[in-house]
Amino acid sequence: MTDTIDRAAAEARFRDVFSHLGHVAAYARRRGSRDADAIAAEVMTIAWRRLADVPLDDPRPWLYATARNLLLADARRARTANGVVADGNGVAPPPEVVELDPRLACALRSLSPVDCEALLLVAWEDLTPTKAARSLGISPTAFRVRLLRARRRLRAKLDEPAHDRPSDTNAHLDLEAT
Amino acid sequence: MSTDSVMRRVRRANPVPATRAAPDEHLFARIVSRPGDVRLAGRATRSTRRRRRASTLAIAVAVAALLASTAYAVSRLIGDDVVRPPVTRQEYLAAQAQLDLPPGYAWPHFNMPPANSVTSRGGGGGRAVLIAQNAWECYWVAAIRRGDARAGERAHAKLDALLHDHVYVAPVGAPEGWTPTPLPAVPFAVYAHDGGLNWVRASYAQAAAGNPRQLAQSCRANAPSGTP
Repeated sequence: MTDTIDRAAAEARFRDVFSHLGHVAAYARRRGSRDADAIAAEVMTIAWRRLADVPLDDPRPWLYATARNLLLADARRARTANGVVADGNGVAPPPEVVELDPRLACALRSLSPVDCEALLLVAWEDLTPTKAARSLGISPTAFRVRLLRARRRLRAKLDEPAHDRPSDTNAHLDLEAT
Repeated sequence: MSTDSVMRRVRRANPVPATRAAPDEHLFARIVSRPGDVRLAGRATRSTRRRRRASTLAIAVAVAALLASTAYAVSRLIGDDVVRPPVTRQEYLAAQAQLDLPPGYAWPHFNMPPANSVTSRGGGGGRAVLIAQNAWECYWVAAIRRGDARAGERAHAKLDALLHDHVYVAPVGAPEGWTPTPLPAVPFAVYAHDGGLNWVRASYAQAAAGNPRQLAQSCRANAPSGTP
């Protein structure tokens, strides 16, 4: 009887988490996943298995962090399968891309991966700085510093005259290694 | 251009506008048919028992405190069903001689838990069984994706044998840490009686029919850290 009640409570709690399935799929798609629905389903499977770790107030930061880890693991597997070896700095070419306005994509790519992710968590995922900080596993203060720096650098990059920028006809956004 | 206008520009460039999708009830049902987070069930069960048997528990705790101050001592008191980390590690190593991993896979290092902790007897072997199971699942997924039917059949046969020879289902209402009696001579893993094993079998049947999606989920979700 107790087990039945516990299970019902767990399922009710998980239903709240599961209502964000679409958000997670959109997150994966925005980060260039070609199988965003599968990533979202996998994130939810992990959330069910580790339900005690998922915050009750807003599970999105936790879900996005899990999705990010899965995307990075996918990227590493793809690189290994393609025989690509990371260079001495531990940075390898990104396999995942998102089609964007070329100028903006180029500017975003000029940011460090963590700064770029900080910016996108606020701009695209609509997280507050505090929740985005939670998703990145850093303090809110550190996050605000990163966000400010990212915005300034992005603005500076976008303000550069067009001929100063390298041509980028593919307009691929590097979302690797956040 | 101001930083605010930069943010507006990034927001406008969002490649996937926010939409409210209808909940996927089929996926929900499939996920919750799997074993859940035992920590939640454990907490609730303990609190219920406390309320119901508060006085009994208080007496038991007092007696236990008098008789033993370490987990090892407690393990001696309640029998030989729990063992210390070196035994679990030995079980894990011994199980490796009785279980196969697919080509290209290696046994992960056994991280020793705290010295004063205890594990159900057979826990080390159970860990090895689950690692082998996950490795063969991942091997199968890779075989399907590269169209290697022979490797896929081999993985399927290995997994069927693994479930048949090394996996037990705990009876309804069995406590966490339940082990079969008598203790099997081979390494074994125990699934809770909650449909988890049925889900695993269903994912194998789907993979055998050419749909490895569920199997791929299991491969990725259960892979130990550091697995390729």
